[in-house]
Amino acid sequence: MIEHRVRVTNRLGLHARAAALLVRTASAFSSALRLERADGTAAADAKSILSVLMLAASRGTELVVTAEGADEVEAIGAVCALFVEGFGENER
Amino acid sequence: MSKRRREVEEPETRWQGLGVSDGVVIGRVLRVFNGARQVYRATLDEKDVEKEVRRFRAAIRLARRQLLAIKTRAEKELGAEHAYIFDAHVLMLEDLKLLEDVEKQIREDRVNAEWAVKVAADRLLAIYAEVKDDYLRARGSDIEDVTQRIIVALSGERLNYRRLSEDAVIVAEDLLPSAAAELDFEHARALATDSGGWTSHTAIIARGLGIPAIVGLRELHRNARTGDLIIVDARHDEVILHPSTETIEQYKSLVESEPQPRYVANEGASEPLRTLDGKEITLRANVELPAEYEDVRRFGARGIGLYRSEFLLMHKRVAPTEEEQYEAYLEIAKVAGDEGATIRLFDLGGDKIGGVSAEWERNPTLGLRAIRYSLTHEDVLRTQARAILRAAARGRLDVVLPMISDVMDVRRATRIINEERARLEAEGTEVGAIRIGAMIEVPSAVMTAGKIASEVDFFSLGTNDLVQYLLAVDRGNEGVADWFRSLHPSVLQSIYMTIDAARKAFIPAVVCGEMASTPAYAVVLLGLGATDFSMTASSIPRVRRTIEGVKFADAQEIARECLECETADDVEELVRVYFKEKWPQLFPPKSLPAPRVEG
Repeated sequence: MIEHRVRVTNRLGLHARAAALLVRTASAFSSALRLERADGTAAADAKSILSVLMLAASRGTELVVTAEGADEVEAIGAVCALFVEGFGENER
Repeated sequence: MSKRRREVEEPETRWQGLGVSDGVVIGRVLRVFNGARQVYRATLDEKDVEKEVRRFRAAIRLARRQLLAIKTRAEKELGAEHAYIFDAHVLMLEDLKLLEDVEKQIREDRVNAEWAVKVAADRLLAIYAEVKDDYLRARGSDIEDVTQRIIVALSGERLNYRRLSEDAVIVAEDLLPSAAAELDFEHARALATDSGGWTSHTAIIARGLGIPAIVGLRELHRNARTGDLIIVDARHDEVILHPSTETIEQYKSLVESEPQPRYVANEGASEPLRTLDGKEITLRANVELPAEYEDVRRFGARGIGLYRSEFLLMHKRVAPTEEEQYEAYLEIAKVAGDEGATIRLFDLGGDKIGGVSAEWERNPTLGLRAIRYSLTHEDVLRTQARAILRAAARGRLDVVLPMISDVMDVRRATRIINEERARLEAEGTEVGAIRIGAMIEVPSAVMTAGKIASEVDFFSLGTNDLVQYLLAVDRGNEGVADWFRSLHPSVLQSIYMTIDAARKAFIPAVVCGEMASTPAYAVVLLGLGATDFSMTASSIPRVRRTIEGVKFADAQEIARECLECETADDVEELVRVYFKEKWPQLFPPKSLPAPRVEG
């Protein structure tokens, strides 16, 4: 199992569009992927949009991403890249 | 049921719209997704449980296909940036959290899939409602939309969900005829919709039922939740969501002190109706919902001038059988009595008749619908014709062909109806004599009305659609409501031409449509030569009182002047000034068209 810390940087946070992108990305891997608020108050299955939305992760929220499985390295890389790129929204 | 949001946490919000049916009501929101149903719990036999799970999975696949189609369309029309919400909806549909929860419910509690979906949705909504984030909390409406979509998809094998709670206020984006047909409106207390205008389906239904309605509320549907407290105040064109205790108290005394808007039934209805100078006028009823049947007699209608037969299709999505239709038409004939009923052939697009798999039309109001659909799907037309012909043997029935463009449509439909008549007679089945009429609502039919008149037994003037097609204005589109002008000179000219063509061919012309139910408009129509009207039954007493109080000659005079006007504003101004001066007792200021405010 590997984990990595990320920060939500896009303006609207993990709203519907960003969450959809996250879930689509996560679902492409066989590894189990989880997101947990760094303050430990909530956790979510990254392959469930209902669960991801419930994190209510607004801009600035710190999350811990964990991946476990055969392709965990690729999986965590792809998911963390989304956060770094601000889900493709930051330049607007 | 799982607990919903606590009302105290919700601030009172006020929404301005357009009151299209008078009254004030305090109730609870029943949020209706276009085509939505009420859900009831059924307990399954052990052996049916797995079948139910499979039915649920099939519904998910169907809902998913629908959503993907919507998403593709949205991407094309709005751009990918705006279509993302449907992507989120697709993901919600596929979400194992939801699927597993529902299937577990079905298996463990042995309940029907609809109920399991509802329980799962309520549970999710309750969790979302706790979240301290406005944006996220609003996602609750996405969950409602997705779960409603599943429930609609499940109804392929329909169950009967048609009961409402006693204080239900129906809140919808727009009330489609299909949704309307699925709800038990007798218990609806009020209607409130995001879009629509004076002649929208919502308005027509509400006036038919005598309950308040407000349209054009824009974002209300997204912001309301089923079960929320709501006040609908059509008098002030206002909806109050989550009213405070003080507001409710205020309104309670208001509701109690005001008389209910239902009109007194049947007054003087047995006498023939005449204008002051003796012109005899006929008022018939427009009927669609069974809830309106009773009103036909109650409000003294001279039979049914327009029965919208598509009501029969709407809770099924497949054409009803000949026997089912026969029973329905027989009942209509009975309700109408000696005066008879005019049955309009199915006036719907292929999407409603053929089910969800029908091809999507870019422009359905101009598409394969009404008589066009019936002529390209002859079996549908033949079945309907046989049912009407048979029922006509036991009651007085006529047929009107919807959306006629020219004489060709009339000839083709008449030929098929006559073939079925001959076939029934050859089989030894008793058939009745029916008259065949044409709906005049398409501009090309107005311009060739003289030709059409020589081939039909009567005209029905559909003013709602005529205005829409003549002015090229979608009557359900609130954005162009300013262009929907029933008193536009071109509309008046078209009505005049049509009535004149009927008169010259010695056939009757019945004016259907909502225009006739507004007293001021009814007088203008009268002046244009209309003496036979069909309208929502509850409007009849009001229109009757108006017509009794005017002279036909005066109405003709004002109609002549209206025909000379350049713009709809001019016509309205003329009506306002003339009516106020001539008949102040008949037309209080609020009953006349309001002056337009620029900007």
